[in-house]
Amino acid sequence: MRELELYFGPQHLGMVGNFSITLKVEGDRILEAQANPGYLHRGFEKLMEYRTWIQNFPMVCRINVIEPDSMEMVYAMAVEKLAGIEVPERANYIRTIVLELSRVSSHLFGLWAYANMLGFDTVAQWAMYHRDLILDLFEELTGGRVYHIYIWPGGVRRDFPEGFKDKIVNTLHSIGSCIPDYDNTFFNNRLFYERAKGIGKITQKEAKELGATGQVLRATGEKFDIRKVEPYAVYDKVDFEIPTREDGDAYSRIWVIRDEMIESVHMIFKLLDAMPEGSVYNKVPNPFKWKIPKGEAYVRVESSRGELGLYMVSNGEDKPYRVHFRTPSYTHGLVILEKLLKNASIADVGNIMISLYVIAPEIDR
Amino acid sequence: MTEGGYVGVTASSMIMTNKKLKEELESTFKDIQVIVPEDTRLNITAREEDALTILKFLKDRGFNFLTLISCVDWIKENEFELVYIITSYLQKNDEYTQREKLQIILKTRISRTIPESKTVTPIFSNAEVYERELHELFGIKFEGNQRLIPLFLEREYKIPPFRKDFDTREYVKEVFDKIPFV
Amino acid sequence: MDKGSIFSPFKSIKYLFKKPKTLRYPFEPKEPAKRYRGLHLNDWDKCTGCGNCADICPNEAITMKEIPEIKPKPEEGMKNERPRVDYGRCCFCGLCVDICPPGSLRLSRDYLHIHFKTDTFNLLAKDEKLDKEHFLPAKEYSILKASLSHRKEDNEGLVSDLKYSLFEPERVPMPQVKPERRRLSFIEQVIGYNREQAEREASRCLECKLCEEACPAHLKISDYIKAISENKPDESLKKIFEDNPIPSICGRVCMKYCEDACSLSIRGEAVAVRWLKRFVADSIKDYKTTLELKIAKPTGKKIAVIGAGPGGLSVSYFLALKGHKVTVFDSLSGGGGMMRIGPPLYRLPIEAIDKDINHIASLGVEFKFNTTVGKDILFEDILKEYEGVYLGIGTTISRSTKVKNADRCILALPFLEENKIGKGVKVGKEIIVIGGGNVAMDVAREALRLQQIQYPGEKTVTKMVSLEDWEIMPATKEEIEDTKAEGIQFNPNWGPKEIKVEDGKIKGLLCVKVKSVFDEQGRFRPTFYEEKEMLLEGDMVIEAIGQGSDFSFIPKPFFEKLEFTERRKVKVDENGQTSIPKLFAGGDIVNLNLDAVTAIADAKVAAEGIDKILLSNLR
Repeated sequence: MRELELYFGPQHLGMVGNFSITLKVEGDRILEAQANPGYLHRGFEKLMEYRTWIQNFPMVCRINVIEPDSMEMVYAMAVEKLAGIEVPERANYIRTIVLELSRVSSHLFGLWAYANMLGFDTVAQWAMYHRDLILDLFEELTGGRVYHIYIWPGGVRRDFPEGFKDKIVNTLHSIGSCIPDYDNTFFNNRLFYERAKGIGKITQKEAKELGATGQVLRATGEKFDIRKVEPYAVYDKVDFEIPTREDGDAYSRIWVIRDEMIESVHMIFKLLDAMPEGSVYNKVPNPFKWKIPKGEAYVRVESSRGELGLYMVSNGEDKPYRVHFRTPSYTHGLVILEKLLKNASIADVGNIMISLYVIAPEIDR
Repeated sequence: MTEGGYVGVTASSMIMTNKKLKEELESTFKDIQVIVPEDTRLNITAREEDALTILKFLKDRGFNFLTLISCVDWIKENEFELVYIITSYLQKNDEYTQREKLQIILKTRISRTIPESKTVTPIFSNAEVYERELHELFGIKFEGNQRLIPLFLEREYKIPPFRKDFDTREYVKEVFDKIPFV
Repeated sequence: MDKGSIFSPFKSIKYLFKKPKTLRYPFEPKEPAKRYRGLHLNDWDKCTGCGNCADICPNEAITMKEIPEIKPKPEEGMKNERPRVDYGRCCFCGLCVDICPPGSLRLSRDYLHIHFKTDTFNLLAKDEKLDKEHFLPAKEYSILKASLSHRKEDNEGLVSDLKYSLFEPERVPMPQVKPERRRLSFIEQVIGYNREQAEREASRCLECKLCEEACPAHLKISDYIKAISENKPDESLKKIFEDNPIPSICGRVCMKYCEDACSLSIRGEAVAVRWLKRFVADSIKDYKTTLELKIAKPTGKKIAVIGAGPGGLSVSYFLALKGHKVTVFDSLSGGGGMMRIGPPLYRLPIEAIDKDINHIASLGVEFKFNTTVGKDILFEDILKEYEGVYLGIGTTISRSTKVKNADRCILALPFLEENKIGKGVKVGKEIIVIGGGNVAMDVAREALRLQQIQYPGEKTVTKMVSLEDWEIMPATKEEIEDTKAEGIQFNPNWGPKEIKVEDGKIKGLLCVKVKSVFDEQGRFRPTFYEEKEMLLEGDMVIEAIGQGSDFSFIPKPFFEKLEFTERRKVKVDENGQTSIPKLFAGGDIVNLNLDAVTAIADAKVAAEGIDKILLSNLR
């Protein structure tokens, strides 16, 4: 059979986000795949070297559109570590709640993408609607629906507005009450099983060798989660489980996402109950005179996709000297995707890519 | 349940603390500087020639997860600093120990005039794509990496754009000011 | 694992009968949240044009645009610039809101901009108070027309909150001696910042430089404060000395116009500019080695300065740097002029004055103290002998109320002088001080201390009488508060009528109620309710109602040539030169502002003027 080169994306039905893959195919079988990121490369890490510590804070969230909060968190953590800033306890609780809310909203978005790709449009629309309800919460808390610009060095930008706790509870209950419907229509649907089972399968050993984290790794049975491994914010003060699956395929990954969402919702309820009163922000120095002592820091959080890290170097100036984000999609979308696509069929490209939960802007930065 | 997959981990190394690791590293390698800034961090500064062996050494001791390869352009010293951040996956599946918290930052310096280093892909296969990125953005050649093809960029740059002497503003002016305003 | 069933999706068929959740935009627009970060609003009355929003903007979306219709008021810290936002760049982060010191800049809940032209992205942010045309009530507003010029009124979103502001509204408290303790002696009240406190206080400065425009001498305040925040007092001192050669004096008694203009003072406390200057002056032991001043080659020109007050000192410093030979004449035994005799010891100790003077003397300036011009040396001789003469004589005569028996009173300046550099005045147990200005406060607080020292343990009273009511009392608020705290009685809104004397002893002050202090034109012309009288009992009365200048040393033929302004001030040109050639003047005799920093500003002008004229003579 003749060998062909096939360009998959960036404008393609099975493709979510600005990303493309060059496939070498023989008939329906993929011989080799090359991931082509860079459609959204804005050079954030370079741009951040030109901006002061506080000016960078509204920018980091733009690296990952779907889940800006963990980006803000990791930046705030790095700055706090370098500058030695303490965060009030209540702010840590709020941060954790916000991060978990954003995990739910991000997972719902991922569910939308995956269901949409498989053709389960009804579920996709539900997921989008429920994500919107969480965005409403974010809008009320932070003033922005997508870019929250909320978790900043020293704490969070504003306290909960009045009656916000109840709003979170109500919204989460209304989403939670739909879980049986989600299960009936999607997760327990035989069609989903047939379409996802065995697709993009990776063993735990391979996953570890390729630097997988997040659902990709947890779907192979490893309970690796930064929230447990190196707890930040108040994850060491709240009780939660790390859902895993054993098979390492698309089916397992999507189930892990579902279980994680439910676990996050339970966690938010616990956090809301345990949340102390008090201030939520320790003032950082005057932004025009703020210099951070020389040093370097690597901090990591568990974003909705896996380990999100930030390596930051300060040269004692008012701007960072070097910033480097370690984003989970980077390894998933470039290394693991290329590996999994080998010998797959063309019809499964979208399925594999979206089940890996790859977000292109996160790769490109 | 799980199939394990602990690469080269022995029982004794599991209880190894960072202090012990520091001693072991210092006795094994010459010209190495190990500091423990906090309990969960270990910073190693070493010669570039030793980087590969140190990484192998660490992987053999269970630090099987290469998190990130980064580069810092110390333009004043005319050096690039390659930064390898290594940690480990779980030792036992439902147990979170101090061990996984430990992150090792290995730093080596290479010349800025002839930016070359050896690839670490034989040890960590996911290093390939990080090296590709550094090759593209900093212009560092990784000897042995067969796939140093472009990653993000579409244009050619006189100076690799993440180097400190690349002025973003100037570049933007030069390139985009020529485009007529719509 | 359960593989699921192909029939399970049918369970969600119930959704077919539910109402759709989709909003029917634009008939059902979604109301943005309370904190929404939308288009900008700016209250032009509150906005000072400080430009902090433009400085913090990560995307350089904000530029400060000059508005010719607005009159700049530097003394109030008000520029005629207002922020203009480029929505092609704005990322709606709201950092501009959190840095805005007056809190005038806010974000609204408007977020729509529909327009056919692409170049309509710039907005000179205003709000409904100023722009009734573009901000419409809910009835007239239509979402279909929503744009930068069609917005809803009362639609505030994210607003500034001091708790979350990017600046620190509160000052580092200045350590001071408590009123109960300080009233017992002449111990210096303000202890001064230590290095850590000064650094912390200096780091509050936002570098908007409104203060520099307010300062009469235009000190580079922002720069020298920045140097303090970076722990470089040496750098800071160099910056101060560019415009002010007497920081030790000014750091204690400056009228601090800068702090009134400080943008932080609007919702919080101004940066303690004066105390920071004092910190620099105090923390550096030897100015000379730190400053490394470059003195120009001697020109051989001789200049006389009459009066060693702040103006005289400054002019001699600036001229000495230019290589001229300067001689300063003063009738007092030391330098400082009014600074030496006026400000009480608890505010300005003699050592602090001498520190500045010794430094100026070390630059080659010759001081001739105890030399009264007109008596020990004649004015006409000075004018003949020197190539230039600077008149910095200030106001040295206390005015009297001239009421009945006013000759029995003590005047403010002799009282202060005797206490500061003399032996001290024997005071009574019940003292009445007439006046409501800063000098009156000084007099009262000194009198109180003398009572404590001379009558320990006995009951003593100090009372103040002023024409002005609390609101218009000329003394600064800070000074009034300090005076009150020390337990001095105030009798505002009373005018003196007669000093009651019985058997040759003062019995008290007869006062009448004040009707008004100023007339319609705003001139000082007090009127009284003659029938409302009050007798304040007391055995000693001190008058502190103002000072005048003494020109008696200038011989008549010269004095007649000297021109005065309508407000009875010496007239000078842009070089500081009076109507008499070679004679320059500055300070209180020229200015309406009677303070040291204005005198320094004048001195700088005059020094340049003298130098210019001397050099032109040289050619």
